[in-house]
Amino acid sequence: MKRWLGLYAAAVYCFLHLPLVILAVFSFNSSRFTVWQGFSLHWYLAIFQDRQLGESAWNSVIVAVAATILSTAAGTLCAYGLWKRGSTLLSGSLYLSLVTPEIVMGISLLALFQWSFRWLHWRMGLHTVILAHVAFSIAYVVIVIAARLRTFSPALEEAALDLGATEWQAFRFVTLPALLPGIVAAALLALTVSFDDYVITSMVAGVDSETLPMVIYAMARRGASPVINAISALIVVVFGALVLISERVRES
Amino acid sequence: MKTTSGWERLRAWFLLPAWIWMAVLFAAPFAIVVIYSLLTRGAYGGLGLPWTAENYQRLLDPLYLGIVLRSFAMAAAATAICLLLGFPLALFISRAGSHKNIYLQLVILPFWTSFLVRLYAWLFLLRDTGLINTALQHLGLIHDPLPLLYNDGAVLLGLVYGYLPFMVLPVYATLERLDPALVEAAADLGSKPWPTLLHVILPLSAPGVRAGSILVFIPALGAYLTPDLLGGGRTVLIGNLVQNQFTTARDWPFGASISVGLMALVGVLVLLMLRSEREGLV
Amino acid sequence: MGVAGLAGCARGRPRLNVYNWSNYVAPDTIANFEAEFGVRVRYATYESNEEMLAKVLSGNSGWDVVFPTHNRIQPMRQYGLLARLDHARLPNLPNLEARFQSPPWDPRLEYCVPYMWGATGIAYNRSVAPPPAAWADLWSARFKSRLTMLDDPEEVLGACLLKLRLSYNSTDDASLRRAEHEAIAQKPLLRAYLNAEFRDQLVAGDILVAHSWATTAQQAIDAAPQLAFAYPAEGFPLYGDNAVVLRESGRAELAHAFVNYLLRAPVAAAIVQTSRTATANGAAQALLPEALRSNTTLFPSAETLARGQWIATMPGATQRLRDRMWTEIKSA
Repeated sequence: MKRWLGLYAAAVYCFLHLPLVILAVFSFNSSRFTVWQGFSLHWYLAIFQDRQLGESAWNSVIVAVAATILSTAAGTLCAYGLWKRGSTLLSGSLYLSLVTPEIVMGISLLALFQWSFRWLHWRMGLHTVILAHVAFSIAYVVIVIAARLRTFSPALEEAALDLGATEWQAFRFVTLPALLPGIVAAALLALTVSFDDYVITSMVAGVDSETLPMVIYAMARRGASPVINAISALIVVVFGALVLISERVRES
Repeated sequence: MKTTSGWERLRAWFLLPAWIWMAVLFAAPFAIVVIYSLLTRGAYGGLGLPWTAENYQRLLDPLYLGIVLRSFAMAAAATAICLLLGFPLALFISRAGSHKNIYLQLVILPFWTSFLVRLYAWLFLLRDTGLINTALQHLGLIHDPLPLLYNDGAVLLGLVYGYLPFMVLPVYATLERLDPALVEAAADLGSKPWPTLLHVILPLSAPGVRAGSILVFIPALGAYLTPDLLGGGRTVLIGNLVQNQFTTARDWPFGASISVGLMALVGVLVLLMLRSEREGLV
Repeated sequence: MGVAGLAGCARGRPRLNVYNWSNYVAPDTIANFEAEFGVRVRYATYESNEEMLAKVLSGNSGWDVVFPTHNRIQPMRQYGLLARLDHARLPNLPNLEARFQSPPWDPRLEYCVPYMWGATGIAYNRSVAPPPAAWADLWSARFKSRLTMLDDPEEVLGACLLKLRLSYNSTDDASLRRAEHEAIAQKPLLRAYLNAEFRDQLVAGDILVAHSWATTAQQAIDAAPQLAFAYPAEGFPLYGDNAVVLRESGRAELAHAFVNYLLRAPVAAAIVQTSRTATANGAAQALLPEALRSNTTLFPSAETLARGQWIATMPGATQRLRDRMWTEIKSA
């Protein structure tokens, strides 16, 4: 069975990564169009000459990291609290935030910010983007952690209490470590969702807070320029390298 | 679940951030959307008085109900396929021992690149002069190019492709927690791999499966980029309809009422699902 | 708020925020402006008027200069979004083509300066014989599944109206219903409704005929000489994108300087060369290489142009009817 599973996994990974391979190949295409016309590296050079790209990439990183930290923290605590005793209102609103089409969330958050900022004399910026990202990623975190909590027995915490720990200590030293893989999975999900978000971000971004998806979408919609292929290929390489490095560090 | 006052206090504190967040960043915007849905379209788009329930009456039109039905069918199909494809993968990763993290990252890695850009890559793959058709023609397997693009099948492919990690991650989170001793016990009792899967692993992974299904089905309902790009704009799903109202048609009140209607519908479905389970999902 | 002299200012150079359509400047247009005037320009792009309007309607978006299409100018004026232009600060205005010196949507150029204009027509592969020359040709069965239309209700219904020899801007219910009928009849022949992807597919040969803007067609023709563009016999829609200064902008002087800079003939000519759009700047056209100047796709002859119709601002009731029809067409 294990062998079949391995083969199957390989096939699925191919499916997931096939577009990436295409992107990488065409990032070396000398022509702008998806017809191969020769090898060229000038799209990669173009990336480094584009100031906008650098700034937007940096913005994306800031937003994604900040939003992930906030939503994972709030979401984990929330999932745990709901596990202790549910709350229909809170669960309901978390679900609803998932159902809301992105454009609706974007427009409603835009309206909220525009209205409230009128009194506060604020403008849109990275802060509004981060707030918006947390808004839509909390539900993902809660659902992933809650699913993991389903398989967790409260008996372990009870045992800790019997041994004299406080409730907080029981959570901190018994449950939390056990939840860690789930938290990592949830954080990964939140990070990914945030890093790639376009619709909501484009609505609530300020003049100075362009993110990478916004720049890429703009480029892509007017005719997929190979520059974005090059960017995508670079991103994959960079993150792939980061993953490998972190694995080596973990193992040592 | 028995709670004592100590737990109650902890719980109250833990839920506080989520409460604040949902109140400010969800309830308030949601209220705004509801208000929008009761207004009228302004002369050049946007909003204006009078207050009216007309936007909700428009929803009952068979044209829009048909769109809702089609969207539900598409989302359900995407969820089912994601489950079929994603469950074995999650199982594989959960059993991968020390390389678990790498395999997990490999699932996520493609999603670090722009979704739109990957969709364009699929366009290139599926087009008449695209890679797949060209390859098949070169191998002499087909004569004329296959119509792989701009139909429901292509949209389904795009949806599955886009939401697979949302199924894999929660299922993995549950499977990872699975006690291998249970599987061993089943084997000791003479169970072969397949029955073990069906009767032991699958039921124990139910919470993850439910979570994953929700995380795929619900966003798939509101998807608009995938049907737009891979469907060639030939069909209208709810996501396209709402997108259209807020952009080209500039009928924000109607777009808002569609969204409220959609959220209400899914809310009811989820409520029913929660009631039928002994324990809730969240 | 002096401009050039602030180049060495300790707090940083003055800023200008410009929000434009994508592909509407040359690679060095902005950089040259920044260098010459010693300012820093935040330049971002959008793909549709609605995207821009959603931000700008709040009156507090942060943008200084935006580029609405001509039929949005009047609504924007009514919402009080536009600043009155100071012609004293726009000495390059005479560079505009004569017909754009007093365009129908702003005869005295009080609020806007025409920037680029274009038309919609039919892009096709020359291997198609006889070549399509009228909207009616897009209903021909010989193009089955090798034809795309724009994913834009106004354009599609407009093409149907023109095919029926009705006005592109018709608001008559009965006429619109007939147009909708045509669109639904055409749908089985279509491969898809595409706004941007058809260009690549024309070049690659996936499709033979496409409903297209002239500028997109020209970009395709540049890549594949076997392609061509036709201005349909029954008539065609014209659009003009204009530079406006937002009333909320606190940098009116710099904004005017930027618009004036865009009006310079060499600047506009450079933009045309890279973006393949038709400029409203007559002086710039004279600077273009012969091949571009006589390019009939971008700059059609006067008699061809006479068949064109400026797109009108649609009243609310018609808008709703058209929108519902679009949903019906898409669901068919």
